[in-house]
Amino acid sequence: MSPGKKRKRYPGWKMALVFLAPFTVVYLLFLIYPTIQVLYLSFTNADIAGIGEFTGVQNYVKLLFKDPVFWRALGNTVYFILLTVVPNTLVGLLLAFLLEKMRWFKGLAQVFFFLPYILPVSVVTQIWLWVLNTNYGVYNFFLGNKINWFQTPNVGMPAVAFITIWWTVGFNVLLFIAGLKSIPREYYEAAAIDGADRGFTVFWRITWPLLWPVTSLVLLLQLIAQWQIFNQIYLLTSGGPFNSTTVVLHYMYVEAFQKNHGGYASTISIALFVIILITSLIQLRLLRLRGNT
Amino acid sequence: MKVTWRKSLMISLLTLIPVFGWSQTEIVLWDFLSGGDGVRWHQIVDGFNASQSQYKISGTTLTWGDPFYAKVHVAVVAGETPDVMTYHLSHFPAGMKAGDLRPFSAAELASVGLKVADFNPALTKVSLDISKSFGKAGVLYGVPLDTHTSVLYYNKDLLAKAGLLGKDGTPTGINGIANFTAALKKLKALGVTPLAWSSSGDSATVWRLFSTLYYQQGGVFAAGGKLKLDQLDTYGKTALTQMASWASDGLIPQNIDYGSAIALFSSGQAGFMINGNWETTTMVDLEKAGKLPFKYGVSAIPQFYGNQATWADSHELAIPANAKKPISPEKLKGVLTFIKYVEQHADIWAGGGHLPAYLPVLNGPVLKQMSPINQYAVQAAKDVTLDPVNPAFGVGDPVYGYVDNFITPAIYGQGAVADGIKQFKDALVSGQ
Repeated sequence: MSPGKKRKRYPGWKMALVFLAPFTVVYLLFLIYPTIQVLYLSFTNADIAGIGEFTGVQNYVKLLFKDPVFWRALGNTVYFILLTVVPNTLVGLLLAFLLEKMRWFKGLAQVFFFLPYILPVSVVTQIWLWVLNTNYGVYNFFLGNKINWFQTPNVGMPAVAFITIWWTVGFNVLLFIAGLKSIPREYYEAAAIDGADRGFTVFWRITWPLLWPVTSLVLLLQLIAQWQIFNQIYLLTSGGPFNSTTVVLHYMYVEAFQKNHGGYASTISIALFVIILITSLIQLRLLRLRGNT
Repeated sequence: MKVTWRKSLMISLLTLIPVFGWSQTEIVLWDFLSGGDGVRWHQIVDGFNASQSQYKISGTTLTWGDPFYAKVHVAVVAGETPDVMTYHLSHFPAGMKAGDLRPFSAAELASVGLKVADFNPALTKVSLDISKSFGKAGVLYGVPLDTHTSVLYYNKDLLAKAGLLGKDGTPTGINGIANFTAALKKLKALGVTPLAWSSSGDSATVWRLFSTLYYQQGGVFAAGGKLKLDQLDTYGKTALTQMASWASDGLIPQNIDYGSAIALFSSGQAGFMINGNWETTTMVDLEKAGKLPFKYGVSAIPQFYGNQATWADSHELAIPANAKKPISPEKLKGVLTFIKYVEQHADIWAGGGHLPAYLPVLNGPVLKQMSPINQYAVQAAKDVTLDPVNPAFGVGDPVYGYVDNFITPAIYGQGAVADGIKQFKDALVSGQ
């Protein structure tokens, strides 16, 4: 085979490599290599910057059998997911419906619901620290109570969950509106001719099934995002009171940056990685089954 | 042709002279000093840069607390450190454990005319104790700049109304925990906040008062570098129970943040405020601008229990232990020259209410005239109690997180005092 022939079979492969190279290099250097390093560090007693000594599965044994705070943090994370994933999806769906029904000021209303989403997390938490301030907050002022929203066990986590929904629901609304718009009008017209009213039946038989791909996407994105809850906890409660809002990533942060346990923090990261991977796979499978029926 | 060539060569050589001939040695400085402290710090640094032409300090201000120390440690490991940095004495145990600090030899200090005996012995003793606990007896790892501590601010107008102001214009009848609590109740009867004190998102302020109440009963958290926590069950509980009862009796505000506490006091709505000496500048500035609606005073923290020990810390100047690129003799000379200059100009720093560590300035004439620092300096210097010698304690170290998580909620009744103490202890032990 002559070189000329080969070039004809793969035209422009060199050029393709040139275009692919920047991404590949960045991806390998800043994503794959650090991931492998974290895996390695999870078997060491490294501090936050050093290499440390190899300690075998010691960190994993500690994580699984000797560390109640990790399990507490895992439980709290699951609790946070329960408080956010489905509510956030439902609220998003509801708001999308309402916005679709609006006749006037539709664009303006959409802007208002989407506005919180473009705010940085530090601004969001600062706003709510003011609104829910124990002594001077607007909310406590009108209710005339002195609830300490971020320092009371049983209240802290729901407060953080509420703020998270307020902050992120705009994006879900956007996805749902797009989903609703893509449902052909003809289905509704056909349903009307067949005598189905525009009520619950129409929603249950037409809108909901056709919206399912969007809903499952929202649920999956939510689940992955909420497993990684950190910023709001760090900025609002620092994991307190009495560890009642300590979540996995905040615990990882405390181990790495306050206690200087880089190796053990890596182990926690790997555990979270595995958990997210498994739950995503399960959810994907479940949602697909649901979508097919 | 030849002449032009020579001319152009000469011109180009002449332009190079500034680069080689008068080149300054650049000294890279990292600090964590913001606010009023930052302003005075830059005044000193700029003063040094203007005072000589051999060295030029280029400084970067980073975030106070664990972000600063995490960054320093990463820099040490990577070999990309600054030449000199500010450092908390309370972080020395963690810093030594991480291997981030380079020692100063006596000869190096002597080369710029400094010696250990020039500094407040209360600070150098703790510094050397820490060195000793890491097997480096007699080696100094930082040059102290100041002592900073908690002080008691008081509103003279309100105290006079409550009958708590003595003839000399200082508070009276507030020594002893029972008397102090009674005084707070008298202020409450006036309808003002008795004691402005912050705790929301402010574990530092909570730690400072909690540890002060604990030390004053004779409590210790560590001995010989190892944790010693048994007194938490006695003295610790007493301290925390007291703080919780102040909260439930409405003598301290419910979870206000740092800024709100200062606002409460400086607007004349609080009788007392317990805060760092560095907030004296806020009072001085407000008074100067005519915006302080009352007369204020500052004193050392009263004696609540058996002694008058009070939480304190020290800003130090230190050199990172860069093993990959050790500091060059030329830069070291520059750093030492800079440190000497800073110490000699510590009266500027004292404008922030800090007690200079350099004895010639601390005992000098300037400080005796400086108000309000002269109202508390003598007593506060005696009461100085540094954080325990253990890596769990100190600025940027785990204890701050534990305080937020277990001590603060117990003060406000969101959990029992006994639970708070127990979980605080457990966290300290498991974090070692």
